[in-house]
Formats: sequence, structure tokens, C-alpha cells
Amino acid sequence: MTDPVYIVGAARTTFGRFDGEDNDLAEEAVRGALADAGLTWNDIDFAVGGTNGETKPDNLVARLGLTGLPFVTVKNGCATGGVALMTARNGLLAEGAGIACVVGYDNHARGAFNASPARYGIGDWYGQTGMMVTTSYFALKIQRYLHEHGIDPRALGYAAEKAFEYASHHPYAWRRKPVSVDEAMDADMINDPLTRFMFCSPDAGAVSLILARGSRAFDLCEKPVRLASVALRGRRPGSFEVFSTWLSPGERTSPSIDAAAAAFADAGISPAEVQVAQLQDTESGAEIIHLAETGLVEHGAQMQGYLDGDYKVDGRLPVNTDGGLLANGEPVGASGLRQVHEVVRQLQGRADGQQVPGQPSIGFTHVYGAPGISACTVLTTEGE
Amino acid sequence: MTATVDDSLFASLDPVALKGSSCTACGATVFPALGSCPVCTGVDVEQVALPTEGTVWSWTTQNFEPKSPFRSDGFAPFSIGYVDLGPVIVEGWLVGRAEWSIGEPVRLVLTKAWTEGDTVVHTYAFEAAS
Repeated sequence: MTDPVYIVGAARTTFGRFDGEDNDLAEEAVRGALADAGLTWNDIDFAVGGTNGETKPDNLVARLGLTGLPFVTVKNGCATGGVALMTARNGLLAEGAGIACVVGYDNHARGAFNASPARYGIGDWYGQTGMMVTTSYFALKIQRYLHEHGIDPRALGYAAEKAFEYASHHPYAWRRKPVSVDEAMDADMINDPLTRFMFCSPDAGAVSLILARGSRAFDLCEKPVRLASVALRGRRPGSFEVFSTWLSPGERTSPSIDAAAAAFADAGISPAEVQVAQLQDTESGAEIIHLAETGLVEHGAQMQGYLDGDYKVDGRLPVNTDGGLLANGEPVGASGLRQVHEVVRQLQGRADGQQVPGQPSIGFTHVYGAPGISACTVLTTEGE
Repeated sequence: MTATVDDSLFASLDPVALKGSSCTACGATVFPALGSCPVCTGVDVEQVALPTEGTVWSWTTQNFEPKSPFRSDGFAPFSIGYVDLGPVIVEGWLVGRAEWSIGEPVRLVLTKAWTEGDTVVHTYAFEAAS
């Protein structure tokens, strides 16, 4: 029986536009997480850093200290944060290390990501004809999903309204101005049925977590949060991923379905027990799809949940309580760790924004990205 | 002079048909043609001409000009869709109008993508069949 792994420190920067160096962001987050755990860089045995940018996370040691520790770099697109956390957990268990630090950060240019066809193994024609566009992928996916499950497109507006309401209370979120359902629905159409308020934007930010094994965690932290499971899955035939020139007919699959199921099974916890969740909401439609793919809500029942306020802070299942990607933007390397950071703070009863009432003890996070990967975690303050 | 955005996409140009590949083991069909089968991991595949008629599986509008390497003779919003051709669902332009419905029948056509000097460069697209 291996020791359980706990999160004993967590910190994030404010997300948004940033003029400094990427490493400034990363250093701020790491130093914040170390302080939160009452540790120094000297105490860290194993480190993992994730970014989608040009900097080398393992060179952060030039600022933090040349302690000789092993430092692994992760670059897995939108799922980078989840993969970094899994790598840190695995490092703790496999290397016999006591304390690990994980950091994710990015500082993106304005506007939609500009993907190169060659990097995805696709011919230039795909980009030249204007199909290598992430936003149109999301629109095509939710258009089909709403049709298959008979969901009112106004659900997209409700998802946006909820995100910006949470963010208006959150000091580290980027876009904190409330937006009504009608404003979201009536805004400029980007890719039908998604409007301007329904997409997140690439931006800048960093998040760091400190992990510790076994009883050591309780020496370092008053209320450590146990990483009950973390699971990573890739796509299978039948999934609908970005930059797909073709899709398989027939049964639809998804790496999110597989990763969530694996995470719940490994943790021995069911989706119905989750009290606070963070889902990949690259745009409004992604939240709607992922509510069901993760097993938290039935396919087709999402709209009723929005109407009933289920996903708000005093609802049955608060979702994306820091405003999610819609309000925080997406610094790719940091985004998955932001989700974990928020759930950790909620479970510790010290949320930066709106605190979920009733001392929630079980949380869930889900990150998803190109080219069809998902990482999920189950987090809890309850014993094994 | 005419050209295509990529000749390897086409089994024939007149009449127009797309070229995919079909796995001899599991029958899975993909587009464009690949040298192996991502569905069953097989490596024995044959090139096939895809059906030229299908139905709209999903659609959206591209209302902003895509970044490089997008090319055009002047951007105007356009429609993109996935079209269910039977053995495979293929992504492509939807031409001829701005609003589409899932399930409506469409057929394959060649359409102008951009001009390059005297050469008109064509791509494949789907138009309403009725």
C-alpha cells in the first residue's frame, strides 16, 4: 500500500494580460505555493513544470535555486496542467520523494490560437481553406450535441452568465464584469451558435501546487487535500476532436468520458458524491458537454440544471466556481492547475471567491484539450 | 488555368470525388487517405473514392477571417460543416447559403478557393442537393 498523496500548498497569479517574462509568472506562483505550505525551494525533492510556450520550465531552477532536484517538463496542450499534476504524483510515488512542486504557466498573444497544420500532421490545404480554426471546431461540436440531445441553445447563454457571476466575486479572475443571459445570446456571433461572450481567450497566468506524501502532509498543512485519483486518457475512434478532417460514423466516444470514469473508479467515489467541480469550459458548449461526459449530469438534463441554479454557489453542484476558463482565460499550461487550485481552496473552506457552503469534502476537476486528451482528478478532505 | 488546393485529396476531378482510404481488415474509412488504419491499428489499407452525396451532420459559420495560412481573394463569412457520406463523416465548406439544417442532403462540388496570378485554385465543398 503506497502512501496517499496530498496537496499541502497552492497559489495562483491573477490571470489576464501580462507584460513581463513568463518566468516572472511562474516564480510568483511557486513562491506563493511554497509560502502556503511553509516550505522553501530547498525542501522540494521533485518538480514538474508545464507550459505551451517557448520557455523551459526546468530552467526555473536558475531563479529558484540549483538544488540538484529532478525537474520534468510537460507539454500536452490544454491538458498540460492535469498531466503535470499526474507526473508529480507519479514522481512522488516512484522516486520515493517526499515533497513535489508542480507549476504551470503561459503568457499567450492576443486572439485565437494560430495552429500550424504541419504540427498536427495535416496538409497545408486545411489551414489555407480556413478550417484550421479552434473556434469553428467548438461550434460544430456543440451544434451537433444540442441537436442530438434536444437542448435549448439558451443553455449557452446561461453557462456564460454563471461564469461571469462567479468571476465578479473572484479576485484572481480576468473578466469580472457580469453578463446577462440575454447579453450573451445577443452578442456578436463568432461561429454559430457561439457568440463573443461564450469563448475564453488565451491569456497569461501561473499556478503552483505543493504535494506531499502520507503523514508528512499533516505536519505541513492544517487541512491537506488528498489527491484521491488522477487519470489521463487519449481519444478512441468515435471521438470528435479539434482539427479532424474526418469522423467515424456510429457510436460517439470521448477521452473525457474515459478519463472521468477512470478517475472515479480509482478513487472509489461516484459522480453523485461530488460537491464542487471544475470542468473544461473553453467555451460555453464545452461546459454543457462535459457536465454529462464526466457523469455529473445526464445528457440532455443540463438546461434544467442551469434553470434551477444547480451549478451556482448555493446549488446542488457548484461548477467552475472561479469563473472557469470563460472568465479566467486560458494560459494553457496553468489552466488545469487553476482548476485544482480552486477545488483545493473550496475544500479547505478558504475559497478566494464565493465559498461553497456546507463544508464540501469531495471535489472533481476535468481538463480536456487537443489533440483529444483529458485528465481528471478526484480531490477530497475525507480519509481513505 | 485551374489547380486544386491539394491534388492528393481527389480521386477524380471530373466528375469530382474525394479520395480516402479504407482498411482491408476493419473496413474503417478515413479522409484524406492514410497509410495505416487509426481505428484498428491495421497497416493494410486501400485508396477509395468516397461517396459524393450525403447529409449535413453539423454546421457553423466562420464569421471572422482566419489567421495565416488562410488564403482568399477577400474574406467574406462562410459556412463549414461535417457531412455524413455513409462510411465516413467529412469536414468541408458548405456553399450556396448561410443557414443550414442538420440532416439535409448535400452533394460534393468543386469551388473556387482563391486565385494565384492566372490560376484559379479550387477546393472541395458541399452544396444543397435540392
